Amino acid sequence: MEKKFYLTKEGLEKIQSEYNDLNKLRLAKTAGDVPKIWYSEDLNPEYIAFQEDLGLLETRISELEHILSNAETIKAPSGDRREILDLGATVEVLVNGKNDEYQIVGTLEANPAIGRISNESPVGKALLGHKVGDQVVVHSPVTITYKIIKIRYA
Amino acid sequence: MKEIIEFLIASGKLKKMPRTGWVWRGVKNPETIAEHTFRVAIMSWVLAKEGGEKLNLVKIIKMALAHDLCEVYAGDITPYWGLLSKDPKKRRKELQAWVRLPRAEKEKRAKVKFEREKKSLEKLVKKLSPDLRKEIMESWLDYEKMRTREGRFVKQVDKIETLLQAKEYWDDGNNSFVCAWWEEIDEFVDDPVLLKFLKELGRDDRVCKLKK
Repeated sequence: MEKKFYLTKEGLEKIQSEYNDLNKLRLAKTAGDVPKIWYSEDLNPEYIAFQEDLGLLETRISELEHILSNAETIKAPSGDRREILDLGATVEVLVNGKNDEYQIVGTLEANPAIGRISNESPVGKALLGHKVGDQVVVHSPVTITYKIIKIRYA
Repeated sequence: MKEIIEFLIASGKLKKMPRTGWVWRGVKNPETIAEHTFRVAIMSWVLAKEGGEKLNLVKIIKMALAHDLCEVYAGDITPYWGLLSKDPKKRRKELQAWVRLPRAEKEKRAKVKFEREKKSLEKLVKKLSPDLRKEIMESWLDYEKMRTREGRFVKQVDKIETLLQAKEYWDDGNNSFVCAWWEEIDEFVDDPVLLKFLKELGRDDRVCKLKK
């Protein structure tokens, strides 16, 4: 079974937008055009690497196609299910006497430095399915208890 | 060629810059940023092959080599920057646990760090040829933003290399507070190969298993 990529609505839109842009670039490049946009200051800097390297462009398009074919949009639950921590939720926890806060997202959007952790990380995985008041213990060499203080969905 | 020599001399400063975190922890003869980069590159290479997945090895190795070039002018900014006491005793206690902050604060700090490091890297590569300049910047941006599989992979390896170093320092009698690194890793790493590596690495870890 193919791996699923869980994305927020914004995350999916971003990937779709990049896919559309890169396909336009590929079309223009293979038609022999040199799109003016590639050399303008408006060019998304993320696309600069593709200017000269068609192989790199193809690889990235292929990667995005694979993601889009297997993407699932994270949807906020309704009713009582909002009391359970699921993908997309922001959770406030008490750890070692201090408050911490994360949004649980899929691997593609995870960036712990800005408070987004992956549902496939040991902490993300352990927290899913729990409610406010639960104490979740994560064992690696270190044993840390996360007490869930608050759960909210956008 | 003159510009390349200048770039190489500037990059070479990383061979003399000790990693901030080890200095704060009182580690004797702490490794330099360049030494850390060396092993991030090696780890990225061998662990990418271990995965069997089709990760682009050239991209990964270039990314690993470039990932801390920004520190030539930005310095080594640790996750604890701005949060620790000036008093060395209090600071050592604070370093025993991982950083805990609200999301908004994390986002603000990440933005400041990113801007500072981006500016620094732009300064370092300013005089290189446009192609090479773009290649280095793009590699770093991919790593920083974790845009591709390779970016996500190297970012996670970077954290694991630091954990491995912390364990080695502990074994040498330095108080490198290994457990705090495990706390970070448990939130950060989700790659299956790297999780398997961590499971093996943690198997003989007596230090943190004793901590309740």
